[in-house]
Amino acid sequence: MNAPGRGRAELILSLGVLALGIFATIVAFRLPEAGGYARVGPNFMPKVVSAGLIVLGLWLLAEFFTGGWREAVPDEAAERGEHPFVAGAFIWVSAGLFAQMALIHNAGFVLAAMVLFGCVARGFGSRRWARDLAAGLAIGLAVFLFFVKFLNVNLPAGWLKPLLGTAGI
Amino acid sequence: MGETLTALLTGFGVALQPINLLWGFVGVTLGTAIGVLPGVGPALTVAMLLPLTVKLDPTGALIMFAGIYYGAMYGGSTTTILLNTPGESASIATALEGNRMAKRGRAGPALATAAIGSFVAGTIATILLTLLAPLVVEVALKFGPTEYFALMVFAFVTVAAVLGSSTVRGLSMLFVGLLLGLVGIDDQTGQMRFAFGVPELLDGIDVVVLAVGLFAVGEALHVAAYQSRQQDSVEKVSGSIWMSRSDWKRSWPAWLRATFIGFPFGTIPAGGAEIPTFLSYAVEKKLTRHPEEFGKGAIEGVAGPEAANNAASAGVLVPLLTLGIPTSATAAILLAAFQNYGLQPGPLLFQTQTTLVWGLIASMYIGNILLLILNLPLIGLWVQVLKIPRPLLYGGILIFATLGAYSLHQSVVDLLTLYVFGLLGFMMRRWGFPVAPAVIGLILGPLAESQFRRALAISQGDPSVFLTSPISASLLTLTALLVLVPWLYKVVREQRSRRRAASGRP
Repeated sequence: MNAPGRGRAELILSLGVLALGIFATIVAFRLPEAGGYARVGPNFMPKVVSAGLIVLGLWLLAEFFTGGWREAVPDEAAERGEHPFVAGAFIWVSAGLFAQMALIHNAGFVLAAMVLFGCVARGFGSRRWARDLAAGLAIGLAVFLFFVKFLNVNLPAGWLKPLLGTAGI
Repeated sequence: MGETLTALLTGFGVALQPINLLWGFVGVTLGTAIGVLPGVGPALTVAMLLPLTVKLDPTGALIMFAGIYYGAMYGGSTTTILLNTPGESASIATALEGNRMAKRGRAGPALATAAIGSFVAGTIATILLTLLAPLVVEVALKFGPTEYFALMVFAFVTVAAVLGSSTVRGLSMLFVGLLLGLVGIDDQTGQMRFAFGVPELLDGIDVVVLAVGLFAVGEALHVAAYQSRQQDSVEKVSGSIWMSRSDWKRSWPAWLRATFIGFPFGTIPAGGAEIPTFLSYAVEKKLTRHPEEFGKGAIEGVAGPEAANNAASAGVLVPLLTLGIPTSATAAILLAAFQNYGLQPGPLLFQTQTTLVWGLIASMYIGNILLLILNLPLIGLWVQVLKIPRPLLYGGILIFATLGAYSLHQSVVDLLTLYVFGLLGFMMRRWGFPVAPAVIGLILGPLAESQFRRALAISQGDPSVFLTSPISASLLTLTALLVLVPWLYKVVREQRSRRRAASGRP
């Protein structure tokens, strides 16, 4: 039988696939027919795909209720050749990505990249804030100048606009 | 034959233009460097660079992408041999022997047999591609929407159901990919689907956001949360990198055998290079005269799988270029690169874009030579790349990943979507869902839908066309057999063992 933790994850994920299928079905049935010559319109594939997701969700549930998922990934991190889950690392990397979303329009691409880099490095166990932020700033600046000047990709200059001059938006 | 040769010569004329030579060089160098980085594969590399190339000319950009594609394969072998953490699944077989050779101080010959073997296999496979592509094109020109749809269904099912460890989880990811492919405006009727009024979703979900989210953000979250804090130890490359006489004698039959194992597997939808590398490893283990060395660093065990890997990568380009069918995640992203330029790979591309297609194929011959030159003498440089500390490596990867997504619409919504796909990628890795079917579903799904509706429009809504066309009928039957036979086999076997258990016999 399953370890309780693994069972819960399998149940939630099976229900997740099923729920996605049901949600997609509701949306699909609201789409117009508009079949034309083909007699199948823009609503046909959505119906097929959402029905498929429902079937697959039920299939996963059936595997869960008959002794757990087949060929499942081992629940113990050690059995997978990994180390135990480190929540802090996960949160630091996520925080870096959200900080970048919050900063990119006001502070600009370079500073957002610096903060992202610093948080991600912290998530991977680095304690050298100064080095990491400096490296992030350097990479962010190099990427910014290369893509804005050389490839004409628009990136926000933000608070560094006085320093970066005409580059960026 | 003569026509192919003329076309190929024209192709060389294109590929040897200085600017295209430069793009090819940039591609293979970038591909090798990034392939060396653990955890970054060719699929992610091409995906990250996709939005940044809109302003380049298509021939140059595609030559660069192809260079990244097989450059990353070469680079991956260096990582596998020196680090024992395969960057991609196709390198696992190499890791078995290559890393042990390095541990015994024979890193040089291991790297050499991998690089030269990749060159031999890559070149032979490119010749096979050159010869085979025009033949497939001739057949494919007779295909109508009905046949294409059946072919796509076949590709979906083999990639999703037959390959991974679990059929149901593979299919689940395929259908998630298909659902994501439906988001946006339906191009036949203009109907909005699954966009919920979000302007960023009207164009559909960009493959860049999905692939970069699943591969880069998902991978970073997973490695951060589950891996050890310690830096991997990199094996030293000491002594000569040259292979001895006996190394050569043991390597070249393995290269040739592996080429003819790898190439055919690449051309069919069998998930790219993973199966043929293991097959080649098994063959070499069986045929070797030094069975005692296997498991301790046998050179055949590096030569074979690495050659098979490269031959299969070239094989993957046959269905991609001639039929427009991607059979691996990387091929799906390459297909998206063509689409960004309004080009649709397939038999017509060989007629309308002759110089582009043949320039691309010719560039692969040149790229293989460049890679041989780049890899062996510059090995010291690649070892330095391997020593980049993980915190800095992943910080850099995420800057490039977010840059790729952000530059699509200069919108935070894309960054948020990227993170959501990152979470999805994290969960998929943790609970054993394969990534490739989702990416292939997203790219190939809309094409399959339009072929399906076109086929039905021609038949005036009569669905029996899919069974009355002989090609379509046989492909669909084959697809059904591929799913049903292993399943029935499993059910029968489970029941037999249950009966045995019930009757009390072991």
